[in-house]
Amino acid sequence: MKFDLLLTGVGGEGVLTTGVMITKAAHEEGKYVRGVQLHGLSQRGGTIPTYIRFGDKEGIHSPAPMKADVDLVMSFEPIEAVRATEYARKDKTNFVLNTYPYMPIYGNLENVPYPDMDEIKKRIEPFAKDIKVFKTDKRAKKEFGDIIYGNVMLVGAAVSSGELPLDKDTVRSAVESMAPRNVEENLKAFALGLEMGRE
Amino acid sequence: MRCLEEAGEKVPMLGNEAIARGAIEAGVGLVASYPGTPSSEVPMTLSRLSDKLDYYFEYSSNEKVAFETAAGAAWSGVRSIVPMKHFGLNVAADSVSPVAYSGVKAGMVIMVADDPKGWSSAQSEQDTRYYGEMCRLPIIEPANPQEARELTEKAFDLSEEFELPFILRTTTKISHSVETVELGERKDIETEGYFEGEEEMFDNVGPGLQRQHRKVDRKLEEIEEKYGEKLNRVEKSGTEKDEIGIIVSGVSYDYVKEAMQKLDINAPLAKLVMTYPISKKFISNFIEDKEEVLVVEELQPFVEKEVQRIAKDTNPELKIHGKDLLPKDGEYNLEVIIPALEEVFDKDIGIDFEEHEEKAKDAMEGLPPRKPVFCPGCPHRSTFYALKKIYGKNIMYGGDVGCYALGTFEPYDMQDFLISMGASLGLTHGVKKVSDQDVVVTVGDSTFFHNGMPGLANYAYNDGEAPLIVVFDNRWTAMTGHQPHPGTGKTGMGEDVTPLKIEDIAEAMGAEVEIANSFSQEELEEKIKELKQKDGLRVLVSKGECRLVTKRRKKREGKPIVKFQVEQDKCTKCGICTEEFACPAIKEERKQKGEEPKYTIDPDICLGCSVCSQVCPQGAIKPRKGE
Ligand SMILES: Cc1ncc(C[n+]2csc(CCOP(=O)(O)OP(=O)(O)O)c2C)c(N)n1
Ligand code: SF4
Repeated sequence: MKFDLLLTGVGGEGVLTTGVMITKAAHEEGKYVRGVQLHGLSQRGGTIPTYIRFGDKEGIHSPAPMKADVDLVMSFEPIEAVRATEYARKDKTNFVLNTYPYMPIYGNLENVPYPDMDEIKKRIEPFAKDIKVFKTDKRAKKEFGDIIYGNVMLVGAAVSSGELPLDKDTVRSAVESMAPRNVEENLKAFALGLEMGRE
Repeated sequence: MRCLEEAGEKVPMLGNEAIARGAIEAGVGLVASYPGTPSSEVPMTLSRLSDKLDYYFEYSSNEKVAFETAAGAAWSGVRSIVPMKHFGLNVAADSVSPVAYSGVKAGMVIMVADDPKGWSSAQSEQDTRYYGEMCRLPIIEPANPQEARELTEKAFDLSEEFELPFILRTTTKISHSVETVELGERKDIETEGYFEGEEEMFDNVGPGLQRQHRKVDRKLEEIEEKYGEKLNRVEKSGTEKDEIGIIVSGVSYDYVKEAMQKLDINAPLAKLVMTYPISKKFISNFIEDKEEVLVVEELQPFVEKEVQRIAKDTNPELKIHGKDLLPKDGEYNLEVIIPALEEVFDKDIGIDFEEHEEKAKDAMEGLPPRKPVFCPGCPHRSTFYALKKIYGKNIMYGGDVGCYALGTFEPYDMQDFLISMGASLGLTHGVKKVSDQDVVVTVGDSTFFHNGMPGLANYAYNDGEAPLIVVFDNRWTAMTGHQPHPGTGKTGMGEDVTPLKIEDIAEAMGAEVEIANSFSQEELEEKIKELKQKDGLRVLVSKGECRLVTKRRKKREGKPIVKFQVEQDKCTKCGICTEEFACPAIKEERKQKGEEPKYTIDPDICLGCSVCSQVCPQGAIKPRKGE
């Protein structure tokens, strides 16, 4: 078994932490993991995706998956999912995204409007077997007053909707061990995500 | 605790963490480093664990001092490691070459991370392997975190055996890649040493120098002889097309392995672990019965040239591929390597990567562009804003390396060049000597201590018409992950120390010095105006802590951050906050193209620095109600 995941978003930290969490869960399940985490480079507003590969060691060597070949693109920011299409292809790749638009200042400066969700989906469709959109950012804002919990929630939704082939219990314990502060909120966010994914 | 797990355990690790673990397993006694992406997590991991283990750790003021500190320990019989990025070795090189001659008493590893493609916004794609030949030091290259852990320890052992520092070279996709790593036993840590000062190590005057040169060359020959074949290996699964072989080093090994699987290629594969000196015997044995070889290595044809040289004797008919099919620039990955293998082995994976990338590019067409930008609340944005107001964008701005280099992007566009750490001072000095342009120098605090001070001393000594030098003092080495430096007041082991004050140093060098709060436009403007009117060496120290550090501290302490908002009835939609100041937290929203925008501040991003409220001419930006 081999599963290739591309995790993307804006601002680095959230994406990295979630990446470490998923890596941990996969490892707990006894899977061999490989991947790329570009720490310290993405924090200043650029986009740098995290790659996570897990499964049987024999089939995984390269740190990054091949382009046009990942199983899942998970994005914490809609337009960054479009930027990940290089790694996706129609007969293989699923997309899981939230709805939090992080407008880059260059969008303002150069007067390029932020596309709406329909347009974003239209752009992704030629590269996607399936696109699932979860409003975890809005839900997190409502429940916790902070969109940051939307990340864990999206992971929950990806797990329970079957897009991310990991066990909810191992992911839950990874969430628990990763969040020394605000454990309760994170666990609640994860549980809400599981619910959203089942609906 | 991460990196302290028991031997035999399997742990997913970053390449840099695996190197830190390898050093711990080798019983390292002293670690000295100056941070630099993509090597930074090696010192960060060892810094974090320094209160649990006995070794000494420090962040030195630059890589040369770090190297010397590590060499001093290794001279005295204590194992040491000095991790740095590729440019760090340029800074240290002056001492590296003579220390290769002197040799060491205990294992010493110089860990150097190259950065093809420039992920760290590096200013060149330097290939560090040439330092091996130039400075006479062996180079060991892992392919992945598992090997990184093992080879770090191996490098210590070999260094000790031959009394010569070893370079452990990685690239970004080794240092920053993750793999499940199986851990090894930890040796005892030895931190006590003594400098004996044997004459044969240090006699480098007159004929002694040639003796030293011969000594190091002899060591390299012995290393090649004894380990040239042992360290490298041939993987020969070959059933078909055995007449074609692949020679590979570094991270390319992992790409090639997977590409071979995907293309169903079973060719013999020679994996080089020691890329300097390259074992002639190993290469000869591999190529002697081949018709063709493909050499796969990122950056320069370092191995390929050596294979060409060896083939002249062993197999002059051999067809050698390498940089004819693969690029010298940028980074390799599966998409780069697969087409080369397709060509050599006459295979087809069935995907046209170029076409696919074109298709993806079309999908991205017209999206709002995302470029690096100062964080919300960054003190540097505020300092640049005040400079822009008083000096404008059109004078010459001598740029330097750090987060403040983001001032190069619109709407600031206030860094005319970016060369190397501390270079803003010397370069502008040269320009000023031959022109009477208006110049402002911008330099960060960590950069000031690293290599800015000699430039300032030179200005003080040789230039009565020095420009205004602005030091962006955010208290940390922010760009590389917020490490402390001599001005922070903390050591790499977390001890409190007296911070060095940049204003005192500048004053001691004879500069006219002013200090301003980076978060006060009024203060910045006043001080900049004041200094602008004066002549001679002038230094403005703009002090304001990196907002990310402040944010983390406040979060830890459970203190709230007061966010800001735009009061719509006062906003005249002048756009200064987005177009001139450009904080990512401030949004300019239009329901439809061409419509009047609405300006709002995203409370999820705002870090409450308050500068936008000082910049708004209408006073429309205020702290959020109830906060
Ligand atoms: C010789 C060398 N060593 C290390 C680096 C990595 N590096 C880039 S910027 C920087 C330091 C920036 O610190 P500072 O000057 O305080 O600016 P800040 O990022 O805090 O704004 C470092 C260490 C480098 N580019 N060159
Ligand atoms: S990390 Fe700190 S210094 Fe760097 S851009 Fe962000 S706020 Fe500014």
